[in-house]
Amino acid sequence: MWQRIKQGLETRIGLEDLINTKLKSYSVPRNTNIFYTLGGVALVAFIIQAISGFFLLIYYVPHSDHAFRSVQYIMTTAPFGWLFRLMHVVGSNLMVAVIFLHLLSVFFMGSYKKPRELTWIAGWLMLLVTLTFCLSGYLLPWSQLSYWTTTVVTAMPTAFPYVGDYIANLLRGGEFVSGITLNRFFALHVAFLPPILVGLMVIHVFLIRRIGLSSPPFDASSEETKPWTEYRHVSYPNGNSFYPYFVLKELYMVALYLVVMFFVITFMPTLFLPEASNIPANPLMTPAYIKPQWYFLAPYQMLKLIPNKFLGISMQIALIGTFLLWPFFDTKTERNILKRPLLLATFTASLVLWVVLTMWGRSS
Amino acid sequence: MKRRKFLKSLLALLGSTTLVSFAYPLVRFIAPPSRKAEVKRLSLQKNEIPAGEAREIVLNNTPAIIINRPGKGYIALSRVCTHLGCLVGYNKAKGNLICPCHAGIFNLDGKVLSGPPPKPLTEYPLRVEGETIIIG
Repeated sequence: MWQRIKQGLETRIGLEDLINTKLKSYSVPRNTNIFYTLGGVALVAFIIQAISGFFLLIYYVPHSDHAFRSVQYIMTTAPFGWLFRLMHVVGSNLMVAVIFLHLLSVFFMGSYKKPRELTWIAGWLMLLVTLTFCLSGYLLPWSQLSYWTTTVVTAMPTAFPYVGDYIANLLRGGEFVSGITLNRFFALHVAFLPPILVGLMVIHVFLIRRIGLSSPPFDASSEETKPWTEYRHVSYPNGNSFYPYFVLKELYMVALYLVVMFFVITFMPTLFLPEASNIPANPLMTPAYIKPQWYFLAPYQMLKLIPNKFLGISMQIALIGTFLLWPFFDTKTERNILKRPLLLATFTASLVLWVVLTMWGRSS
Repeated sequence: MKRRKFLKSLLALLGSTTLVSFAYPLVRFIAPPSRKAEVKRLSLQKNEIPAGEAREIVLNNTPAIIINRPGKGYIALSRVCTHLGCLVGYNKAKGNLICPCHAGIFNLDGKVLSGPPPKPLTEYPLRVEGETIIIG
């Protein structure tokens, strides 16, 4: 039976040729490490988000009168509703964590350098789209946490003169966060953002395949000696096949991802659901303790520390812009960060600063 | 060659007309629905707010607060923090207004004492006629 299906496909689309040319003879550097698998893990994380999200749509009602109750229904009444909701909630946090790690390892290994600038930019745009996913999804349960986090975020454009108020009102569909905002964010979350993210993924993966994977820069053999003046494909004739060697490595990391996810769901289900997420939204009362998710704690603390709204928000935009265009600022050909003490020091200092701001934001 | 150039310009014209005639409705479509500013008045009895106490109200769809400042009389302030829009709360013990989101602190006149808010809280006109406080 299986043989006949395989034979049928072979006759029609040349399956074997496809697998041989795209997966088996596509070889990756022999010294790839586990950090190379994080992009693949992020892809699987996104697929899990999409699937659990589709299921949540069956019971979720995107209306300010019913949203909170429908989420409660999913959590308490719909059979295994809690499982799909928690997979979606925990999964979103873990997906951001995986993307952060992916970004850090790409930075550390200098993989963003010429000719891979566009891959880096596509990746950064994907991170921004993912964070927009997180923000828009945050409003949907229509809890106190949802409401006030969204109030703060949608008020950020007001730091800019003239156009700021208009942009804020455009996002919210009015002067305040309301049912109109809920519908806008719902549309963003389930209809506008998914194709954008998938489109960027296609570009990202296309670029990786077209240019060829970069190799870890830590041994002398991996140095690219020729300066990059015209297009060429980077290949590793002595490397390992993508399939099965690299795919297996990725599968191990995906399994690890799932273990972490189900460990959190089983043993700490409220880790990402603080108290304010169990109280229905009240536009007349800001709760005493309102904090963003862990990945926004550093920018949150920065906003608190910089005693000027315009400066605080412009600085964050400038930081994002710098990271986004980083490959064009860092044009040195040396890819090994260990041979570049200044870059290594800046990298470590930024990382430490980020951790300190996050901890500070959490405890203050 | 002239004919080709003409056709190219025609295509550009048609293309840009189509684009504009789609873009304009789109911008109008996603723009926030217009809302007429309501100017409503609100009145309260003086004895509802003893000295040192405050009362939260909603004025023209905006959450606001009336405070009876000891020694300085009544004031009506918007509760919307001028930083990023959270609602300030009255702290009777410290005699100030605190925004829980990014730790902005205002005094009872609505002026910024500390934290990131760029502007004082909006003050609403308020007058006292006999035993009645009229806001707005």
